[in-house]
Amino acid sequence: MIRKAAAVLLLVVCLACRERQLPPVSATAPDESKPQAGGTVVRRLDADVSTLNPVLITTKYDHYIARYLFEPLLQYDSTLEVAPGLAEKWEIAPDGKAYTFHLDPKAHFSDGTPVRAADVLFTLKKIIDPASEAVQIAGQFDRLDLARTRIVDDRTIVIAFTEALAPQLSWFFSVRVIPEHVYAAGDFKTAFDRQIVGTGPYKLVRRVPGQEILLERRDDYWGTKPYLQRILFKLITDDATAWNAVKRGDVDETQVPSEIWARESGRPELKKYLEFRRFYTLNYNFVPWNLRDPLLSDKRVRRALAMCIDLESVVKNLYRGTARAMSGPFTPDQWAYNPDVPVIKYDPQEAKRILNSLGWLDTDGDGWLDKNKKPFRFEMIIVAGNIASGPFSQLFQAELKNIGVDMKISQLDGNTFMERILGSNFQAAVLNWELDPDPDPYALFHSSQMPPRGYNFIGYSNPAADKLIEAGHREVDRSKRVAIYRQLHALLADEQPYTWTIQVSVKWALNKRLHNVKESKGWGLFLWTPAELDWWIPADARTHDRQPPTK
Amino acid sequence: MLTYVVRRLFYAVLTFFGISIIVFVLIHIVPGDPVLFYVPMGGSGTISPAALQAIKHAHHLDEPLLAQYRWWLQGLLTLDLGTSITARRPVAELIGEKLPNSFQLNGIALLLAAAIGVPIGLWSAMRSGRLSERAAAVTFFLLYSLPSFWVALLLMQLFSVRYDILPLFGMRSEQYLQLSTGARIVDRLTHLVLPVVTLAYAQLAIFARFSKAAVTDVIRQDFITTARAKGVAPGSVLWRHAFRNALIPLITLLGLTIPYLISGSVIVEQIFQWDGIGRLYLESILKRDYPTVLGLTVVTAVVTLLASLAADLMYAVADPRIRLGGGRAT
Repeated sequence: MIRKAAAVLLLVVCLACRERQLPPVSATAPDESKPQAGGTVVRRLDADVSTLNPVLITTKYDHYIARYLFEPLLQYDSTLEVAPGLAEKWEIAPDGKAYTFHLDPKAHFSDGTPVRAADVLFTLKKIIDPASEAVQIAGQFDRLDLARTRIVDDRTIVIAFTEALAPQLSWFFSVRVIPEHVYAAGDFKTAFDRQIVGTGPYKLVRRVPGQEILLERRDDYWGTKPYLQRILFKLITDDATAWNAVKRGDVDETQVPSEIWARESGRPELKKYLEFRRFYTLNYNFVPWNLRDPLLSDKRVRRALAMCIDLESVVKNLYRGTARAMSGPFTPDQWAYNPDVPVIKYDPQEAKRILNSLGWLDTDGDGWLDKNKKPFRFEMIIVAGNIASGPFSQLFQAELKNIGVDMKISQLDGNTFMERILGSNFQAAVLNWELDPDPDPYALFHSSQMPPRGYNFIGYSNPAADKLIEAGHREVDRSKRVAIYRQLHALLADEQPYTWTIQVSVKWALNKRLHNVKESKGWGLFLWTPAELDWWIPADARTHDRQPPTK
Repeated sequence: MLTYVVRRLFYAVLTFFGISIIVFVLIHIVPGDPVLFYVPMGGSGTISPAALQAIKHAHHLDEPLLAQYRWWLQGLLTLDLGTSITARRPVAELIGEKLPNSFQLNGIALLLAAAIGVPIGLWSAMRSGRLSERAAAVTFFLLYSLPSFWVALLLMQLFSVRYDILPLFGMRSEQYLQLSTGARIVDRLTHLVLPVVTLAYAQLAIFARFSKAAVTDVIRQDFITTARAKGVAPGSVLWRHAFRNALIPLITLLGLTIPYLISGSVIVEQIFQWDGIGRLYLESILKRDYPTVLGLTVVTAVVTLLASLAADLMYAVADPRIRLGGGRAT
C-alpha cells in the first residue's frame, strides 16, 4: 500500500518533470573593465504575460517580453523622443497626412527573410482588423487611409491618414512588424503560441505559463547585438516574495513597493550588493470628479474640496518624501508642463468659507453642511487593498469631516471599479494614469471622448478647453504645441475636472552584478532604446550560469 | 448496491447541473465585465470599440444570458470547456496545466497531515485528560490558529533568507533542466518542503482532533469495557476494536477533504509561486473570466460529487452493518 502510494507520488512528480533539455553554458574569459558578452539576467515578472502576439499587447508585462522579440518601426530614445527603429529614416508629407518610411536594409526576421514593406502593410492591416482584437492599438490607426497607403518598393512604404495628428508619429512605436509569410494563414490570435518569428535581438527558448519565460540572444541578429546571452523571466506575483528573492540574489531586479522601500532601502548590508533606484515616470494620481453630478458640477465646489487635501502631509507621511505634488495634467518631466501653475494650497478654512458663500451651511446643527435640507454628502470609490488609495482617501475623509462635508469611501474590486468608472457611475474616485510619451490629453478631456470611445468619463465639456486640446492634437510644430499645452495646463488646473494629487516615484532594487542600467526621462529602466539591451554582467558575477553540481 | 450507485449517480448529475446554473448566474450577476481586462488604463490611449465588440462576439457575451448558458452547456456536453477570455487559451488546457501541481502539493500535505494527525489522535484518545494530552491539544489549537500567510513568511525568512537551506519560491531551480531524473525529483521535493509544511500544520490539528473525538466516542461504549474486562491487550483494544469503529467519521472527513486536493490554496500558491488551481481560480474571478471560472467549478464539482459517492461506498466497506440501497434491513 505504502509502496503503491510512493509509486503514484513518484509518477506525479515525474509527470511534472518532462521538459526539453538545454545545452550547458560555457564560461568566457573575464575582463572586468569593459562590457562582456554572455551571462544570464533573471528578471521578475509581476504577472504572467497575457499574449506573445505583438499586435495584441495588453499588459505592461507583455511589453517587457515583446521588447526582446520584436521591433517597431520607430523607437523612443532616452529622452522619449522618436528614434529610428526598423525604419532607419522617415519623411512627413507637408500636409502631415502621410509618412514615408525607409526600412533598414539590414533588417531581417529570425527565419532569415528580409523585412519588406509588404510586412509593414500586413502588420497595419492586422492592427486595424477588428477580428484581430487589438483593443489597445487599433484606435491609434483608425484614421489610416488604406486607399492612399502604398508600397513604393521592397524597403519603402507610404502610410497615409485621413487627418494629420500630432501624436501619430509616436504611435508607430506600436507597429511591431511581423512577417506576412508566417502569420497570413491560420488563427492570428493564437499564432504566436505556436511559433515566434520577429526581428528582435532575442528568440524564445521556452515559455512555461505561470512560471517562467526564457529568451536567448540571436547569433544572427541584424543590428547591434546586446551583451546578455539569456534573459530569464521568473513569475513572482507576491511583492514580499519578490523582495526576498532579490535579497537572496534569486532575481536581479524588482520594483519595490513604497512601504518596503521605507523600511529596507537604507540598510548598509543590503547596499553592499543591491542598488536602490528611485525615479519619476509618466504617471500621476488624481481624484476624478463626476461633473454631471449637480453636487460637483461647480468648479468653485471642486476647488474648495481640493483645498482640503493636505498634499504636503501625504507626501511626507504616506510616502516619506518619495512623491511630489501635481498641479495639473502634465508632469514636470514633460515638455508640455507649465511651471507657473501653482499646486492648490491646503486651506480647509478657506474651503469652508467658499462652501458657506455658496449656500452650504450647517442649518440644523448636526455638524454637516447642508443646502435645501440636503447634506453635503458624496461617495468616493477606491480599489480595495490598494495601498495608494486607502490611506489617502481616509486622510481626505477626515479633513472633509472637519469642515462638515460627508465623504463615504466604498472599496470595490478592480473590475467593478473600472466598470463604474468607464460607465460614469461614480461621484469621486482615486485613480492613477500611466501616460504615453506624447502628452496629448485628447482622450481624457475632449468633449468628443466620452466612453466608449475615450476616457472622458467625468463628462468634461468646455469649449475653451476643446479648442486648445484640438489645436494641440493637430499642431506638429513643437514650440507651438508647448505654448498651447501650457495654456491648457493653466485652464484645467483652474477648472479642476480632476483634482491632481501626487506623482509617486517608482522604486527599484537591482543587483549590482548588473552593469550599465540606465533610466530614461519618464519611462524608467525599460522599453526605450537601448535601455535593457545595453545591460551586461561581468564574467565572474554570472551566478545564474553556474553549472549544477555533477553527480 | 448497484441500484444505490445508479440512484446516487442520478442525484449527482442533478446536483451538478444545479451547481452549474447557480455559479453561472452568480458570476454574471456580480458587477464587472471580462473585456475590461483589455481596456488600456493609459491616459493618452484610445479604446477601439470595434475590437472590444469582436471579443464580446467571439465569446457570445453579446447574447442573452440564457443563450450564453446554452452555448456553454452545448460545449460541456462535447467535453469542451470553452476558451479563456483573457488568456485566449482553451480552459481545459489551463486547468490541465495546473491540476497536477495542485494535486502534488495538496496531496502530499494531506497525506502528511493524516499520517501524523491520526496516530496522534489515537494516542490522545488513550491519554485523554492527562497533562501530556492537554499540552498536545493546546499546541495543536495554537498551530491551527496561526494565519498561514504569516507562517509562510516566517518559514521563508528562516529557512531561505537567514539560512540558505531551502529554495524561496517556485517549483524548480534554474538548472532544473540540466539535472538527471533523480536530481530533478530531489529538486522538486526541496521546493515542496515549505509550502507543504505551511499547508499541513493546520490540517494536522484537524486530523488529530477529529480522530481523537471519533475514538473517544467509541471508547466510552460498553463493548470496549467488555473487551478490556476480557483482558485484551490495550493496543489491540485500541486498534482492533476502537479504531475500526471510529473509521466512519474519518471516512466522512476524508470525503470532505478530497475536493481540497484540487481546489487549491490561494495564499500558499501566491506566496510560494506554486502554479496551482487556487491562483487560477482567484485570478479568473477577479478578471471575470467566465469560461475559466465555470470550467474550474465543473472540475471541482465533479471531484466533490465523486468523493462523496466514494465515501458513501466506503461506509459499507468499513462497516458491513451499513447496507446501501433499498435492502431489507432487519
